[in-house]
Amino acid sequence: MTEKKNVSMIQRRLIPTYIFLVIVSIISVFPLYWMISAATNTSTDVSRGKIIPGGYFMQNFKNLISQQPLWKAMGNSFFYAILTTVVCLLVCSIAGYGFEIYHDKWKDKLFSILLLAMMVPQVATMIPLFQMVSKAKLLNTSVGFILPMVSTPFMIMMFRQNARAFPIDIIEAARIDGLNEVQIFFQMFFPTMRSTYAAAAVITFMNAWNAYLWPKVIMTDNKSLTMPMLIANLITGYVTDYGMLMCGVLFCSIPTMVVFFVLQKQFAEGITGAVK
Amino acid sequence: MKKKVISMLLAGAMVLSLAACGGSGDSGSAGGAAADSGSSGGAAAAADSGSSGGSGTKLTIWTWDQSFNIAAMNTAIEMYKADHPDFDAEVIETPSEDCETKLTTCANSGDYSTMADIVLMQDNSYQKFLASYPDAFTDLSDIGIDWSQFPELKQSYSMVGDQHFGVPFDNGAVIGCYRTDILEEAGYTIDDLTDITWTRFMEIGQDVYAKTGKYLLSSEASGGDTLLMMIFSCGAGVVDADGNPYIVDNEAVKACVDIYVQMIKNNVVLLVNSWDDYIKSITTGQTAGIVNGNWITGTLMSTEDQAGKWEITTMPRVDGVATATNYANNGGSSWYITSNCKDVALAKDFLLNTFGNNTDFYDAILPTTGAIACYLPAAETEAYNAPSEYFNGQPIFATIVEYSGHIPAYNRTPYHYESRTALNTAVQQIVDGADPATALQEAQDTLAFNMGQ
Amino acid sequence: MNTKKKGMTLIEKQRMSGWFFLAPASIMIAVMSFYPMIRAFILSLQTGTGANMKFTGFSNYQRILADKVFIQSIGNTFFYLIIQVPIMLVLAILLAQLLNNQHLRFKGLFRTCVFLPCATSLVSYAIIFRSLFAQDGLVNSILVNLHILPQAYNFLGNALSARIVIIIALIWRWTGYNMVFYLSGLQNIEYSVYEAAKIDGANGWKTFWGITVPLLRPTIIMTFIMSINGTLQLFDESVNLTKGGPANASITMSHYIYNTCFVNVPNFGYASAMSFIVFIMVAILAFINLKVGDTRD
Repeated sequence: MTEKKNVSMIQRRLIPTYIFLVIVSIISVFPLYWMISAATNTSTDVSRGKIIPGGYFMQNFKNLISQQPLWKAMGNSFFYAILTTVVCLLVCSIAGYGFEIYHDKWKDKLFSILLLAMMVPQVATMIPLFQMVSKAKLLNTSVGFILPMVSTPFMIMMFRQNARAFPIDIIEAARIDGLNEVQIFFQMFFPTMRSTYAAAAVITFMNAWNAYLWPKVIMTDNKSLTMPMLIANLITGYVTDYGMLMCGVLFCSIPTMVVFFVLQKQFAEGITGAVK
Repeated sequence: MKKKVISMLLAGAMVLSLAACGGSGDSGSAGGAAADSGSSGGAAAAADSGSSGGSGTKLTIWTWDQSFNIAAMNTAIEMYKADHPDFDAEVIETPSEDCETKLTTCANSGDYSTMADIVLMQDNSYQKFLASYPDAFTDLSDIGIDWSQFPELKQSYSMVGDQHFGVPFDNGAVIGCYRTDILEEAGYTIDDLTDITWTRFMEIGQDVYAKTGKYLLSSEASGGDTLLMMIFSCGAGVVDADGNPYIVDNEAVKACVDIYVQMIKNNVVLLVNSWDDYIKSITTGQTAGIVNGNWITGTLMSTEDQAGKWEITTMPRVDGVATATNYANNGGSSWYITSNCKDVALAKDFLLNTFGNNTDFYDAILPTTGAIACYLPAAETEAYNAPSEYFNGQPIFATIVEYSGHIPAYNRTPYHYESRTALNTAVQQIVDGADPATALQEAQDTLAFNMGQ
Repeated sequence: MNTKKKGMTLIEKQRMSGWFFLAPASIMIAVMSFYPMIRAFILSLQTGTGANMKFTGFSNYQRILADKVFIQSIGNTFFYLIIQVPIMLVLAILLAQLLNNQHLRFKGLFRTCVFLPCATSLVSYAIIFRSLFAQDGLVNSILVNLHILPQAYNFLGNALSARIVIIIALIWRWTGYNMVFYLSGLQNIEYSVYEAAKIDGANGWKTFWGITVPLLRPTIIMTFIMSINGTLQLFDESVNLTKGGPANASITMSHYIYNTCFVNVPNFGYASAMSFIVFIMVAILAFINLKVGDTRD
C-alpha cells in the first residue's frame, strides 16, 4: 500500500515515540534484570547491591531444589491458575454477554449489586468463607482454591463493557439464520471477542498465579504447595539466602510473562488482523 | 489459526476442570450445594489425607526454616524413631506468619480440625494467642520436663500462671557482635565494649564514626526491636503488673528512649527502613556492631569474607536505672501441642525425650543447624564448648547459653507488637523534633486504645 | 448504540435466556461473596474473640471515630487515590495509543516490557524499590551527582517522600496492567476512523482526546472503578515498601485492618467494621463514577 519512501518518512516521524517507549521499557525491565542478575549471585553479593550478573546461578538453583519442591509447586500453580482462568472466563463471559446483550432495567440493577461484591476487603470475608469451604470438606482441594476466584464482578464487567462493541446486527442475522441464543454466543460472540478473552486470560492467570492469602489459609498439607507459598518459605527464616530467594522468585515470575507474551498479539491485534 | 489456539485451550481446560471437580458438574453449583447442605461428595476424595494426623501415630508438625527449625525437627524425629520404630511424623513447612494466620482463622471459625498436632510459635507472638484462644492449646504442665533446667524468662513466654503450654526451643539471648578490625582502627578492643553502659557505648560510637565513618549500630525504624531489647534488659516492660500500659511514668522506658534518640542523632545508630537494609548495613561493613538475638550469627557466618573479624560479647546496659543488666532476650520460639492433637500422650512423650531433656539431641543439631539450646545442661557438653573459627576462636555457643541464664524477667503482654509499633512511632516523632513527653503520652494512649477492645 | 431499538426487538424468550446466561455467575457471587459479607457485617456488630463473641451494637463503629491510626490511614489512602489514579490511567491510555500504531515496529516487545512490572514478583519488586530509594541507593546517588540534592535524602524515612515513593511504585507496577484493557478496547475502534481523522487534518493530540478517549469510555469507566477499588484496598505496597512508616505516615486502610486481624491481638469484629467503612467509600465513589461516566441509559 505504501511506498518505500513513505515508510521511511513514517518511521522518522515515529522516532520520538520510539525514544519514549525505549525509556519506558528500560524503566519497566530494570527490576526484572536485577532479579535475574541477583539469581546469579551469592546472597552476600546481592545484599551488597551487586547488579552485574555473576556465576552462581547453578549453585542457587541446586540449593533451591534441594530445599524446596520447586517442580511440584510449579505444577500445582500451573494447574490452579489454568483451571481458574478457564472456568472464570467461561462463567464471566457468559454473564457479561448476558448483561449487555439482553440488558433491561432489572439486569442492570442486578449488575450494580454484583459490583458491590468486590468492594469489601478480603480479610473481612475470609473467616465466613473459610467456614463454608471447611464444612464442605474442600480444604486442600483445587475446587476450594478456585471457588472464590472464578466469578468476579470485575471480569463480568470487562466482558460486559467489551460486549458493547459487539455489532447487534450479527446477532439479528444469526437469529434469522435459525441459531439459538446459546449457539449465537459460542459461534458468533466467542470467536469475535478474541482480544477480550486474551486480555482477560492474562489478567486472570496472573491473579490466580499470585494468589496468596486465600491459599495459605485453606492449603494445609505439603502436596498443595504453590509458588507464592514456596517463596514465603524462603523468606521466613533467621537467615535469608537472597541468591536462592531470587532464583525462586525468577521461577515464580516467568510463567506470567510468558503467558502475556504468547497472548499479547491476540488481544492487541485481534480484530485489526481479522478485518484485513 | 488463532481460533484454534483458544478452542484448544478451552478444550484442554474443560478436561482439567472435569477432572478436578470429580464429576460434580459445574463448579458453580458445587459451591452452592456445598454451602447449603454442608456436605459435598464432589471433591472430598480429590485430596485429603495427611492434613490432620488422625491416623494415631502419625503426627503432623508445622514449622518453618529448612536449615534451622525444620532440620532440628527432622533430627528429633529420627532420634525418636530409633527408639520407637512405629513412630511416624510429617513436617509441613509453614512460615511463622502463615501458621499464625491459619491459627487465627481456625480459631475464629471455631474449627480447629485442620490444625497440625504440634506447632512452633514465636515467643513474642504466643501470649496473644494464649490470651485470645486459650482452647487452642494443650496444657503441658504434666509433660515431665524438669523446668528448672530452662531459663525462667524463656519459660514465661509460654506460661499462664503456673501452667506450662510450650516446650522451649531456640535461644533468643541478646549478644553484642563487633567488627574487631574496625574497632582496632579506632583504637578499641572487644574488652572496651564488654559489660559497658549505653552512655559509654555512645562515646565509643561517636569516636568510631569520627575516625572510620562507620556506625556502631544499625536498627530498623518501623519494625525494629532495639529499643524493646534495651527496655527488657532493665527487667522493665511497657505494661504494669496488671497489664495496663506503663510508658509515661516508666523511668526505664524514658531513659531508654532518651539514650536511643541521642544515639540516632549523633551518628552512632543508623536507622534503616527494612530488614534487608539492616542486613545490607552489616554485610557491606557500614556498621561495626550488632546488638540482637544470637540467631543473627547465622547471617554473619554466611558472610564468609568477614570470618575472623567478628567477636561477641554482652550488650550494653542502660545507665541510671537500678535494675539494668547487660542481658536481654529477642526472638526465639517454642513448641506447642494443639487441641486438635489426636494423640496427646505420644506428642508429649516425643517432645519430652527430644527437646525436653536430651543433651545428645542438642549436640546433634548444633553443628547442622546452629540452633542454640535453651536447655541449660547442653552448655556443658563438648560440642557447646568448641571454639568457633568465625568468631576468632570464641566458644560462642556455651557463652550464649550462659548469657541466657542471666536475663531478667519482665511484665509480658499479649500486646507486644502494638507496643513495639507505638514506641517506634514515638521515637520517629522525637527524632523529627517532637517533644518527648508528648510523643510518649501519645504512644501510651495508642496502646491503651488498642487494649480497650 | 441505539439501545431503545434493541430493547424493543427483544422478545420475551430472549429476555429469559438472558437470565439463564447470568445465573451461574450471579449465584456464585451470591454464595461466595454476599453470604460472607452478610456474615462479616453481623461480626462487625460483635466484640470478643473466637467463640466468645458478644453483640455490642455499633460499638465497633463508634470505636473507629476514636481511632487516630485508622483516621490517618484514610487520609493516606485518599492521598494515593487522588494523585496516583489519574496519572496512571492517562499514562496507560497514552501507551496503549502509541502501541496501537500500525506502523510501529517491535510492538510485541514493547508491549511485553510495559506489562512486565505487574508480572514481576512482589518480593523482588519490594526489595529493589527499597534499595533504589535507600540512602545509599541509585536514586540518591543520581540526584546528588546532578547537584539536585545537596546530600543523600532518606526517602522512605520521611512522611511525604515515603508516600511519594509508594505512588511512584504503584504507577510503575500498574500502568502496564491497565494498558492491557485499553489495548484490548482499542481493537473495537476501526482503524479507518483514525485515517479519516488524519485526512480531516486532526493532529495526534486531537485524535487522542477526540476519538480514542470517547470510544474507550466503557473501558475507562471500568479501569477507573477498578483503580479506585484497588487503591482504597491497597495493601502490598504499604506492607512491603514502607511497613506503613515512618510513624504510620504511609499506612493504608487495608494494611491497618490486616494488622488488626493477624499481627496485633486479633479483633475481627473491629476489623469487619473498618472493612465496611472501606466498602461504603468504594461503593459511593464507584457509583458516582458509573453515573457520571455511563451515558448509555
